[in-house]
Amino acid sequence: MRAQFVTSEILIGLRRNLTMTIAVIITTSVSLALVGSAMLMRSQVGLMKSYWYDKIEVSVFLCNHIVQSPNCKGVDVTPAQMEQISADLNNNPAVQKVYFESKEQAWKNFVIQFKNSPGIVKNTNPDALPESYRVKLKDPSKFAVVASAVQDEPGVEQVTDIRKTLDPFFKFLNGLRNGIFVIAIVMFIACALLIFNTIRVAAFSRRRETGIMRLVGASNLYIRLPFLLEGALAGSVGAAFACGFLVLAKVSFVDGVLAPSLTFTPFIGWPEVVGTFPWLFLFGILLSTASSFLAIQRHLRV
Amino acid sequence: MEQVVKSYPTSTRPALDSVDVDIEKGEFVFLVGSSGSGKSTFLRLVLKEETPTSGRVHVAGKDLSSLSSWKVPALRRSIGCVFQDFRLLPNKTVFENVAFALEVIGKAQGTIAKVVPEVLDLVGLDGKAQRMPDELSGGEQQRVAVARAFVNRPMILLADEPTGNLDPQTSIGIMKLLDRINRTGTTVVMATHDSAIVDSMRRRVVELSQGKVVRDQSRGVYGYGA
Repeated sequence: MRAQFVTSEILIGLRRNLTMTIAVIITTSVSLALVGSAMLMRSQVGLMKSYWYDKIEVSVFLCNHIVQSPNCKGVDVTPAQMEQISADLNNNPAVQKVYFESKEQAWKNFVIQFKNSPGIVKNTNPDALPESYRVKLKDPSKFAVVASAVQDEPGVEQVTDIRKTLDPFFKFLNGLRNGIFVIAIVMFIACALLIFNTIRVAAFSRRRETGIMRLVGASNLYIRLPFLLEGALAGSVGAAFACGFLVLAKVSFVDGVLAPSLTFTPFIGWPEVVGTFPWLFLFGILLSTASSFLAIQRHLRV
Repeated sequence: MEQVVKSYPTSTRPALDSVDVDIEKGEFVFLVGSSGSGKSTFLRLVLKEETPTSGRVHVAGKDLSSLSSWKVPALRRSIGCVFQDFRLLPNKTVFENVAFALEVIGKAQGTIAKVVPEVLDLVGLDGKAQRMPDELSGGEQQRVAVARAFVNRPMILLADEPTGNLDPQTSIGIMKLLDRINRTGTTVVMATHDSAIVDSMRRRVVELSQGKVVRDQSRGVYGYGA
């Protein structure tokens, strides 16, 4: 009985100001979708970081006959130099593991990386690619120690830190994410105010009922419940739309546009997308019930 | 009520001043006096809609000043209220209006289906359960309001000028109804300035004037010199 009574009250309330309800649902879904994308962007950055940092940290490129840098002077690295470099790397306490990348492997990776740009592949001579030592560090921040140890050795063209090349990209993604968060917070405020007003209007249009409820001794919870659930319902419908939006973004943007063109890096999968759903519902319901609660607070003083 | 003083901050004179009234269980009391004499404030204090500036109000053995706010709903379940302006919900039928009072305190559907027709029968509205309030006469609407106030079998029934909007003939009907409710053991406190009714009922009369009790006599009449 109670449940049936409360449900009918909620539906009456939502129908009574349908346009406001729709506005609430739209704003909650947009702001929650923004929060969701920010969360997904965060996991994307995390995923890329662990993927790349895990693979290699430092690349020691070796001289070949094309490179005219002062350390190389257009001469191929000699086997003796290579042995020396390899030994020095392996003996360095900061180094965990050293891989050697031959010209053939470098070419293979090159072809995979640029498979969508056949022009670049066609115009590149496989012989032009340098051989390199790929070094994995025990502690990724110890780059400087390893770099200074080998970069002046004969036969070394240059030493690059993978973090240095990727960091601007991650910074960009993080900045984008923070921007989205800020917009989401602004939207949240708009959303809270909208819910606040919607519920206040609902409380005002039902003041006769609430007056009688108080008079006959209905508990405060019982008087408030329809309003709170009304807010919560609007919030969860908004959250559901936001989830739908994220699914759409994953299918059409990540899987449809990003993944086929940027093959060198992994992209977030369904677990990450689905993992944000509970949070969106939580945020949506918390936000809407909290603002409903505040909105009816002064209408329902005992 | 013991030495109750109620002051409104906007007023120089207290709405109730040292009011000391004791109403026994099962009594029928008229609260009379001109407008602004403090009748409504008296009733609001009993409902704990207002708290006294000083003094204590006891209802059903409970001291309202020490009653925490979450117990107020329980207090109000033992008090029924009727007003001059009926306060019915215009979009609900007679049955739904009365049932509403039970629904919102969480009574079971089965109880409601049983109790509401009983009380409608008691107030003489059997057969009009499915009417809307605006299809009824003023007297019938007030009967619905009485039914709603009484459906939960309260110990106390407060009536604030229940006959204020009704013609004398209809008023007598409502008074008969309140009298019948009183005979079931319910305490009835009725604020009014309808002298004819007070005179005809010959019940206890408490007269307020400028917030003070100026008269308290059993089997009294409205005016002085009875």
